[in-house]
Amino acid sequence: MDNPYKILGVSENATDDEIKSAYRKLAKKYHPDNYVNNPLADIAEQKMKEINEAYDAINKLRQKGRGSGSTSTNSNSQSGYSSYSSGNYYSSNGSTSQFYSVRVYLQQKMVNNAEQILDSTPANNRTAEWHFLKGMCAYMRGWNEQATNYFTTACNMDPSNGEYKAAYQNITRQQTYNYGRYADQTYSNSSQCDCCDICSALICMDCLCSCCR
Amino acid sequence: MFGYIRVDENELLVRELNAYKAVYCGLCKQLGKDYSVFARLALSYDCTFYAILLMSLERSCNGFTDKKCTCNPLKKCKFAMCNSECYNKASALTVISVYYKIKDNIADSKFFKKAFYKMIMPIFSHWRKKAALKYPELDKIVAKMLEMQFEDEKSSLSSVDSAAHPTAFMLGSILALEAKNDIEKRVLYEFGYHIGRWIYLIDAVDDISEDRKNQNFNPYIKNNISNDKIQSILNQSLARAYDAYILMDIVDFKGILDNVILKGLPNEQNKIISKLIKEETNG
Repeated sequence: MDNPYKILGVSENATDDEIKSAYRKLAKKYHPDNYVNNPLADIAEQKMKEINEAYDAINKLRQKGRGSGSTSTNSNSQSGYSSYSSGNYYSSNGSTSQFYSVRVYLQQKMVNNAEQILDSTPANNRTAEWHFLKGMCAYMRGWNEQATNYFTTACNMDPSNGEYKAAYQNITRQQTYNYGRYADQTYSNSSQCDCCDICSALICMDCLCSCCR
Repeated sequence: MFGYIRVDENELLVRELNAYKAVYCGLCKQLGKDYSVFARLALSYDCTFYAILLMSLERSCNGFTDKKCTCNPLKKCKFAMCNSECYNKASALTVISVYYKIKDNIADSKFFKKAFYKMIMPIFSHWRKKAALKYPELDKIVAKMLEMQFEDEKSSLSSVDSAAHPTAFMLGSILALEAKNDIEKRVLYEFGYHIGRWIYLIDAVDDISEDRKNQNFNPYIKNNISNDKIQSILNQSLARAYDAYILMDIVDFKGILDNVILKGLPNEQNKIISKLIKEETNG
């Protein structure tokens, strides 16, 4: 394993609190909730595992250094986010699902095969789950709009299903995502002053020029 | 479709801004060397971003040097040096993409503009041939993009997703070429796909007024999409690009790349959407 301090991005002299806060920050960044249905979910999960392992390793090292009898507060370091496992498409509907094979294909990221089965399903068999899985295919491809429509339909047909709701909420979260502080100044650039426009245009031109000088 | 991938200069450290300019200048110089002095006019921020990303992925930037500027002989500039083919690739992509852009413009424009584009076409055609000889895969990907785009615009089933797909697929495939293993390939493709999608979609916002006037194809007009919806479509592309971006192991130029993803692109998006709203309220 690589140096655990490097994985967390902290120096070896960092205090316990600094390490904890670095760990929390990274764990929040790569949390499986951010990668719901994402085609890269397994890679994020791997990264999460590395971070958890690094954090545990540092804690173990430090406890040893202090003498193992100490009553350190870090003893239950595994608490964190380690127990979560994501990307399990067999999950809620289990093997009883009529679209079991579609879920297996999606698990293996074989979107075309999954979609082929879905498209050959007769119209009267197109249940909420069918719409959800169609949405999954679109989402995996990056066709966000189509995915949004299918997920919405799935949720409307079966409002009680947690899986569909999670997919829909994930999409809503991304659509309102505007990088923190930029959220409130979305439309603030519409200044009225034409003089300012001229000035800023000149400044921009100057910036361009300075690149070549 | 060029120039949307910018940094937010106000938020960069001075040394990062200098490094950014040094890559910009380095690419400018390479365009002059590989193609012609006039090819330097095709230099874009997008290809500068491509060059920086390549250098960061390959960890191939090995310092900076002061040399005479290629445009102004009285000035000295910093140039970023690199021990791989980053600059060659980025300049090849520059001329190839400009060539196909002109080709697209010829199909779209009216009489006078068409004549103008037809006049400059042979020059770019020559450069593109040279670039395609060295990097045939780049040329193939960009050519395929244009073909797919053409097909989609003719189709009555065209949606926002399908219209953005060719550009997204192009950038995804171009970045995936750089992968060293399978995992990196998936991450780079996903990142490129959503950045490419965002570029196409932001360009379409920029063109709404003009396309409405000239009755040209525009995915938002065709699918009758409201301004709020446009904002959320763009947000989602940036969010998914960011999710992929943080899975890359970026060390070199991290400050610059973070700045582009977290500040430069949202800035550009806000600027263009508020411009659209201003135009619509002014009639």
